[in-house]
Amino acid sequence: MTSDKSPGANADKQQTSLDTAAARNLAETTKTAPQMQGITSRWLLKMLQWVNVQGGVYRVNRRLSYAVGDGRLTFTNVGTKVQVVPQELCELPILRGFDDPGALQALADRFVQREFKAGDVIVARDTPADAIFLVAHGKVNRIGTGKYGDDTILDTLADGDHFSYQAILESQDSWTYTAKAVTACTILVLPQSTFEDVVAQHDGLKKHIDNFKLRARKPQEQGGEAPIELSAGRKGEYILPGTFVDYELRPREYELAVAQTVLQVHTRVADLFNNPMNQTEQQLRLTIEALRERQEYEMINNREIGLLHNADFSQRIHARNGAPSPDDMDDLLALVHKEPGFFLAHPRAIAAFGQECNRRGIYPTPVDIGGHKIPSWRGVPILPCSKIPISEARTTTIMLMRTGQENQGVVGLHQLGIPDEYQPGLNVRFMGINELAVMQYLVSTYYSVAVLVPDAMALLETVEIGRSGD
Amino acid sequence: MRPDRSSDPVSPETDATRAPTSLSTAAARNLVELTKSAPQMRGISPRWLSRMLPWIDVTGGVYRVNRRLSVGLGDGLIRTTRVGTDFRLVPQELVELPLLRGLDEEAGDAAAELLDALADRFTQQDYAPGATFVREGEAADRLLVIAHGKVDRTRVGSYGDVLKLGVLAEGDHVGGAALIGGARTWDFSLTATTPCAVLSLPRAAFEAVAADSAALRTHLAAVAARVRRPQDKDGQAAIELAAGHRGETELPRTFVAYERSPREYELSVVQTVVHLHTRVMDLYNGPFDQLREQLRLTVHAIREREEHELLHNPEFGLLHHIDPKQRLQTRTGPPTPDDLDELITRRRKTQLLLAHPQAIAAFGRECNRRGVYPETTLIDGVPVHSWRNIPLLPCPHLPLTEARTSTILALRLGAENQGVVGLRPADLPDQHEPGLNVRFMGINERAVARYLVSAYQSLAMLIPDAAGALENVEVGH
Repeated sequence: MTSDKSPGANADKQQTSLDTAAARNLAETTKTAPQMQGITSRWLLKMLQWVNVQGGVYRVNRRLSYAVGDGRLTFTNVGTKVQVVPQELCELPILRGFDDPGALQALADRFVQREFKAGDVIVARDTPADAIFLVAHGKVNRIGTGKYGDDTILDTLADGDHFSYQAILESQDSWTYTAKAVTACTILVLPQSTFEDVVAQHDGLKKHIDNFKLRARKPQEQGGEAPIELSAGRKGEYILPGTFVDYELRPREYELAVAQTVLQVHTRVADLFNNPMNQTEQQLRLTIEALRERQEYEMINNREIGLLHNADFSQRIHARNGAPSPDDMDDLLALVHKEPGFFLAHPRAIAAFGQECNRRGIYPTPVDIGGHKIPSWRGVPILPCSKIPISEARTTTIMLMRTGQENQGVVGLHQLGIPDEYQPGLNVRFMGINELAVMQYLVSTYYSVAVLVPDAMALLETVEIGRSGD
Repeated sequence: MRPDRSSDPVSPETDATRAPTSLSTAAARNLVELTKSAPQMRGISPRWLSRMLPWIDVTGGVYRVNRRLSVGLGDGLIRTTRVGTDFRLVPQELVELPLLRGLDEEAGDAAAELLDALADRFTQQDYAPGATFVREGEAADRLLVIAHGKVDRTRVGSYGDVLKLGVLAEGDHVGGAALIGGARTWDFSLTATTPCAVLSLPRAAFEAVAADSAALRTHLAAVAARVRRPQDKDGQAAIELAAGHRGETELPRTFVAYERSPREYELSVVQTVVHLHTRVMDLYNGPFDQLREQLRLTVHAIREREEHELLHNPEFGLLHHIDPKQRLQTRTGPPTPDDLDELITRRRKTQLLLAHPQAIAAFGRECNRRGVYPETTLIDGVPVHSWRNIPLLPCPHLPLTEARTSTILALRLGAENQGVVGLRPADLPDQHEPGLNVRFMGINERAVARYLVSAYQSLAMLIPDAAGALENVEVGH
């Protein structure tokens, strides 16, 4: 064994030339521009088509719709006791637009809480339908009869969904499906008789329900729009239907939202330390990166404009088994079957989806976007977006959307030509220099996002990312 | 692991109690010009069928499809009506049997009675899944019509194993030849795969009716004569040829016979009258042209209806005119890759598969289960599903029944391929779009301007194998 001696390892040897530490004092170091973590690819901002909104407000005109909303309910729980929030009962189609807190409270109090184990039958087909069921927690499959008498799953309901007897029918009827608990479920039940008792006690409620029954009988197309009368395939002379296309009288207006900050730079820094990099410019660059990140976050999560809160309830489905499987992605594509643009998912959800594909031995071919190879499903790119929230229970959401104004898709809104514009829709205004000799710049970006028709976007909710599917 | 909560940005707290010191946005809005979208409309589907069909300009309003003379006996589906669990034949449907084809025209009034008498003699049998009710080699002595359910047709192969010949479903019939032929045996077995209801007519009962009716006897004699005429496998009058001969053989003389009264397709119309108040037109015309927006949405509605008619119209709709030989049943229920393979082998050059979006999702699930990932293809830059490089396009106008069954269509397109073609008028006065015109009807006493919007179209299938259908596709998970 020979001892390994590297040249110059001898510490006590005399130095014979200038060492690098001393030489550095004379040299000019090469510096990077300041680096920053947390800059993401911001695919949503890149992929959306942006509409220039000159007046600061964008009005989405739609055909008149009689559709009664079928939203989601929220619940409060104290220990194991679950109660529905009374105002949330207005999400039931039959109570939409009704706002007497007393009557709603009375209704909310009458709901009875019941627990079901996985596999329990909640209602059986062909038994009398006589109650309203609210799913407070858990997943429920609705199972219908197939053509040859076998079972066929109609859909999956989850937290906040409900199913009910046909309130607009006068006569008694039976369930046309079986509802079966897929997981352990907490369900609130209100029998029809109790509902009618409460209705009998409150005149306002009774009037509201009569109106609802009347409205439900108006002719409407699929999707609930007022019909355009047509005649087709007839021969000879007959009177043609006259028609006009009715518009919504109070269309939704989107105001541009703002993300703002005040950037402060000391004048001495700005005056003296500007070589080789302009200090103000670098400060501004990083501030803008942060603002754009925030803008994307708001466009997804904001309660007013965020995409997660603006998806139509008929366009939301739940993952079948929890993990994001290829089957779920196919279901999403069936909802946005017209020119789907891209999926948007948290990177971990994409990884979970990849695992599900691997388990089945499927390798989806990636697609090319601007030179990047992006994972895809059925040719539709799956773009990563870390702004989509992951809940405490490790569930997240996958979005699929169509983009563009011509396609009636999802569009981003901004305004071009604002004063002191620095980037499209973003301006930097000089606020002044204060007594501390600090220059202040106001950096603002104005944006919003609009879903032009409900079927432009679909959500796959309660996607579990911690689970290896079963 | 820690959920990504900490990275969530927080909104700055807004001080609600402070009085505003400058103009609010709500007030400023009153001075600005809003940006408005054109009116949006739900329910606009991609209309792939209309987009993919090659359109032929029809002059004169009628398109005539000339075909070779067919001497074979047609074959059709026999519909039944259902009351509870009892099924009954629709007597007029019996003429779909090759044996009785044309009887209603020949026998006139007597035919109705005759068909009623025959329909009455059918009896119903119900079978549970797995029951084999026709066995290969047993005497074929009855006509069977499947009223409900799916039936596997099998045969013993040359090595003693069971061969699957296909699946029969409601409307299909077997054993028609057994009613008039000599002593014959079944050359296949039938096994119910779902609960089945089968209507049967024993040979003895048929003969009893024939003994009473001279009209039926003459009809049967005519049928027997017709069957003897030379014909090819598709039932067309044969073109006589000679091949592989030597020496001075006398060559066959032949000609190609045409159908004497070929099918003519008249253009069908979808119409409506759009009303618009003149005051709206005069005053509220910026930035959007009110009339144009009204027309745009109406035209969308008309085009959707046209797409529906292309599939459902009883005169020319695809679903009503698919040849019974081109109707397939799924093997198990959901649409599997095997079923689609079977569907596209039934014709040369299948160019297009159309399915309900839910059926496409169901097909995707079957692929996923098998670990198959079909390549997607691009049409106009949009990625679409495909199978064996044939685009599989979504069409929400295809029926989806309450029992969650649907139909998948396979089409060959274009006149040069003897496929399916769309028909449109060549040129219309006041044409607005191809095949659609808008005519000003006048302004009435209430100052309402009226416009007549008409769209003309039809669809022709040049030969029967241009389109096929996979039926009873179950899309419930």
